[in-house]
Amino acid sequence: MRFFSSFAKKPILILVVLVTLLSLFVFGIATNAKLVTDLNKYMPSTHPAFMASDEAEELFNIQDSILLVVEHPTSIYNTGTLEKIQRITEDLPRQFEEIAEGKVTSLATADNITSYDGDMEVQPFYTDVPTTDEELAALEASVKANSMINGRNVSFDSTATLIIAEIDPESDATSLQKRLLEYAKSWEGPERLYVAGRPIVEGSLAELGPKDMAIMFPLVILFMIILLYLLLRSVRDTTINMIIVLFGTLFAFGTKTLLGIPIYAVDTMIPVMLIAIGVAYGIHMHNAIHHRIQDNPNLTRDQLAQSVLKEMIRPIFMTALTTAIGFMALMTSEVLPVRYFGLFAAIGVISEMVLALILFPASIYLFGIPKKKAKGLVTKQVKAPKQNRWASILMDHQRTVIVITVLIILLGGYGATKVWIDTSFLANFEPDSPIALTDVFVNQKFGGTSSLNIILSSEDEGTFKEPAVLQAMDDLQTRLSQDPMVGATFSLTTFLKQMNLVMHENDAAFETVPESRELVAQYLLLYEFSGDPETLEKVVDYDYTKANITFQLKSDSSAVLGSIIALAEEAAPTFASHGIEISFAGSGYKAFVFSSLLLKGQIISLGLSFIIVALLLTLLFKNIWVGLAGTVPIAITAVVNFGVMGLVNIPLSSATALISSIAVGIGVDYSIHLLEHYTNRRLKGFSREEATRETISHTGRAIILNAIAVMGGFAVLMFSVFPPNRQVGALIVLNMAMSALLTLTILIVIINYLDKKNRFLPKKIQQLQLTDTGVNKV
Amino acid sequence: MKNKHLKRMASIVAIALIALVSLSAALSGEEVMQEVYTRDSGNNMSANLVMTLTNSRGSTRERSIQQYRQNDSDGEKKIMFFLAPSDVKNTSFLSYSYADGRSDDQWIYLPALNRVKRVASDKKNDSFMGSDFTYDDMGTRHPSADTHKVIRTETIDGRKCLVVESIPKEAKPTYAKTLAWVVENEWIGLKKEFYLPNGKVGKKLEIDSYEKTDGVWVITDMTMSNVDKNSSTRIQMLDVTFNNDLKDSVFTERQMKIGPRI
Repeated sequence: MRFFSSFAKKPILILVVLVTLLSLFVFGIATNAKLVTDLNKYMPSTHPAFMASDEAEELFNIQDSILLVVEHPTSIYNTGTLEKIQRITEDLPRQFEEIAEGKVTSLATADNITSYDGDMEVQPFYTDVPTTDEELAALEASVKANSMINGRNVSFDSTATLIIAEIDPESDATSLQKRLLEYAKSWEGPERLYVAGRPIVEGSLAELGPKDMAIMFPLVILFMIILLYLLLRSVRDTTINMIIVLFGTLFAFGTKTLLGIPIYAVDTMIPVMLIAIGVAYGIHMHNAIHHRIQDNPNLTRDQLAQSVLKEMIRPIFMTALTTAIGFMALMTSEVLPVRYFGLFAAIGVISEMVLALILFPASIYLFGIPKKKAKGLVTKQVKAPKQNRWASILMDHQRTVIVITVLIILLGGYGATKVWIDTSFLANFEPDSPIALTDVFVNQKFGGTSSLNIILSSEDEGTFKEPAVLQAMDDLQTRLSQDPMVGATFSLTTFLKQMNLVMHENDAAFETVPESRELVAQYLLLYEFSGDPETLEKVVDYDYTKANITFQLKSDSSAVLGSIIALAEEAAPTFASHGIEISFAGSGYKAFVFSSLLLKGQIISLGLSFIIVALLLTLLFKNIWVGLAGTVPIAITAVVNFGVMGLVNIPLSSATALISSIAVGIGVDYSIHLLEHYTNRRLKGFSREEATRETISHTGRAIILNAIAVMGGFAVLMFSVFPPNRQVGALIVLNMAMSALLTLTILIVIINYLDKKNRFLPKKIQQLQLTDTGVNKV
Repeated sequence: MKNKHLKRMASIVAIALIALVSLSAALSGEEVMQEVYTRDSGNNMSANLVMTLTNSRGSTRERSIQQYRQNDSDGEKKIMFFLAPSDVKNTSFLSYSYADGRSDDQWIYLPALNRVKRVASDKKNDSFMGSDFTYDDMGTRHPSADTHKVIRTETIDGRKCLVVESIPKEAKPTYAKTLAWVVENEWIGLKKEFYLPNGKVGKKLEIDSYEKTDGVWVITDMTMSNVDKNSSTRIQMLDVTFNNDLKDSVFTERQMKIGPRI
C-alpha cells in the first residue's frame, strides 16, 4: 500500500521506469524474438510414444512428403506432360535444398514390377520419354496393370499424376510452401499443377494464423478503445486502461524473449487473455474513484488517491493473484510451450495489477480529481434505477434464478457430452480456400494426403518372411481399406503380392501372399537382384524383425486418425499370437498423441485451477463457503463453454481448450470483486438487501462495463477470414458474457442464501453485529 | 631338367620384358586399363563366394554362393548357386555376357516356384545382387567406356601402383570419375575410389587379400563401402580354382534346376 501510494506521487519516476522497461522489452523483442511454428519443437521428445515413433521413422526413413499434382485436361499420357514430369523430378532437388537427390518419386522414377514374355523386370515406367502413340499406349497399359501405381501415383482416370518429394524434417515449412507454390505455377500450361501434403498445410497455417491476427488485433484494440471511451467517458481512464493492457502484454513477451525463450504459436493467446483481464483492473479502479467522488466530492487529491487505494488494493491484489495462480496451473502440462504460456501469462497479469494500482492514483496526483461528466454512463449510477430494479427482481425471484441456472447447467452438460476432440490442420481453412480444395481434389484422385504408419515388431529374425504373418498384415490392410477415410495401403505384402502376380503371368488368382517362407525369401532375393534394394528398406528392416505398413488417409483430423488406430488395434491379439507387437509412427500420429496430451494437460490444469481458486478464496475470506461459492460462476461458465462447443460443433482443440482458462481468469475476478464489496458493505453495517443493492450498482456496473468492452473488442475476431480466430472470438464473447451474467445472478443468490444462514460473514463479526444492530453506516 | 630350363628362360624373358617396359615411355592410361581388362583370369573358375552385406545401421546379411565361370571368345558365362541362407538355398542365377556388346542375358531359378525366369537388366550400374557392387564393378565394364589417365604412382604393400583416373564417356554417369590403383606389370587393382559429381568420394573399394592361384591373380577378399549410404559389401572368395574341366552344360537352365552338383 505504502509502496503504491508513494510511487504514485512521483510521476516522473513512473515515466522513467516505464519508459526504461518498455525500451528494454521492445529491444528484447526486436533482437531476441524467435517465432517457432514447427509442431515437432513443441513435443515432449522423451515421451515413450514419441521416442518409439522417432525410432521407427529413422529406421524406415518415414518422412513427410509434399505432393505435386500434375493434372492434364484429358490424359497425362502425352509426350509433353511425361517430359514435364521427368524434368520436374530431376529439377526439384536442384531447386530446393529441402529435397535431397533421389528423394523424388514420380512416374519417371517409380519401380515398375512387370513381366513380359517371361521376363521379370523392375525398372522405371520410362527413362526415354515415349513419343509414338504405340509407346504412349504401352506406358498407359503398364500403369493400369500395376496396382502399386494405378490409383496411387496416377489417378484411375489418367488425368492426374503425383510427384512425391520427401522433405528434410528440419526445413522451414512456411518458406518452403511459398516457394513451392510459385515453382508449381511456373510449370503450368496446358497442365495444371497443385501442391498438397502435410508440410504445405502446416506451412500455410503457420503463415496465415499470425498474419490474420496482425490484421485483426489492431481492430480489436480500436474497438475496445471506442467502447471504453463510450462507457467511461474519460480519455484519461481509457488511455490508462490501454497502457495497462499493452504494457502487460509487452511485459510478458519482453521477459520471455529477454530470457531467450522463443515465441510459440500458442502465445498468440497471451495478448487476448491479458487484454480481457487487464481491462477489468482498470474499470474497477475507475469505478472506485468515481464512486468515491460521488460519495464525497470534497476530497483532496491525496485523500482520494489514498482512500481508493485502500479500498481496491485488496480486491485487485486478490484477483491478480488468483488469476496468476490459475494460469500457473498450466505449468503442470507436459508440453513445454503451454508451461511457458502459463508462466508468462501469470507474469503479465501481475504486471497489469501493479500498473493499475500505480497509474490510477498517479493520474489523480498528476491531473487532479476527475470531473464529473453529466453524460457519462457511470455517473448515472447514483439513481441508477435499473440496477436497483435488477436487485429487486433478483431478490424476489431467487428460485427462478436457481431453476434457470440448473437448466443452463443441464443444457451445457448435455452439449458437453457432444464435444469432440479434434486437431486438424486442414479444418483451419475455409472449405473453398485453394488449400482445402486441393486437398479434396488429391483425396478424390489418389490415396490420400495424410498418412499413418503401423509398425510391427518382433524379436525373431525372419518373422516377416512367414506367410502367416504376411497374411495377417494383408488382412489388416484389407480391413482398414474398407474405411472410406483410408485410401491406399503399402507394405511388404504389397510388393510380394505384385511379384507373385507377375511371376504367375498376371493371373489375378495369384495376387496373394506367397504360400511358403521359401517363396517369400526367393521373391525378395529376386527383387534385390532386379530392383532397387533400398525400396524394401522402407517396408521391412534388414533382419525381417520389423515391418512398416503405410496407410494413406483422406483426412488429417485427429478424430479420424484415432478411429483408424482403434480399428488397427483390434488386430493386436492376432499379431501377439505371432509374437509381434503393434505400434504407430509418423508425424500424423505424433500430432495425434500430442493433441491428446495437450488436451489432457489443459483439462487437468483447468480442474486444478478450480481447486486452487477455491482454496485461495477460502483463505482470503477465511470462509470455506465463500471459497466454494466463488467458484460456482466459473464452473458453470466452463460447462456452458464446453456445452456450446458441443452444440455448435466447435471441436475441442488445444486453442479452444485454452480459452476456458479465460473463463477462470476473468470469472474469478468478478467473483472476488463482488464478494469483497458485499463483505465490506455488510461489515459497515448495511443490511443484506442494502448491501446487495449497493454491490450490484457498484461492482455490478464495473463487471458489466468490463464485459461489454472486452466482448465488443473480441467480437471483431468473429469477422476474421481465418476460422480458428473466429472460434476464439466467439468463445471469448461467450465466456465473458456467461461469467458476468452468472456472477450477477447465481452468485448473488448464493451469497444471500449463505448470509441468511449466517454462513457468509466470519463468526466473530456475526456476533458483533448481533449485539450492535444497524448502526454505523458510512 | 626341362622344367628348370623353361623356368630360367621364362625369367630371362620376363626380365627383358620388364626392362623393355621400363625403357619405353610410361604406359598411357588407356593402355594400363586395357592390360587390366585383358589380364589372364583363367578360362574358367570355380569358387565359393561369401557375400556379407552391412547396412547403414550395422545389420548384416550373409550369403554363401557356389560360383562357376567360363570364358570363351563369345563372352562370359556365369552360374551361381545359393547355399545359404536356408530359405533361398538352391536358388540359382545364370548370366551370359557377350563380347559383341549385346545386353547381358540373365536368368534366375526360384526352387520354391520351380521356375526359371529371365531377369532383365539393361543397366550396368545396377546393383549386383542387391549389394554395393554394380555389374560394372564386378569387372565387365569395357575400358573404352571411359577416358583414362595415369596421374601419379604410389606404393601399396610395397608394390608400385599406377594411379589411373577414369572419366566416363556416358552422358549422366553416377560417378563423375574414378581413381584406380593398379599394380604395375601385374595389372591387378588394389584400390578404387568413386567420385560423385560434387567431388566427394561416393564409394570406395578396398582389397584386403589377393593371391596367385593356378597362375592367375585373384582377389580373395574385398570390401566395397558406399560412403554416401553408409553401407558396405564384403566379398570373400574361398576354394578358388582355375582352368577346370567345365562342360558347357553347366551353364544351362537344366543345371540351374539341378543345383551345384557338377
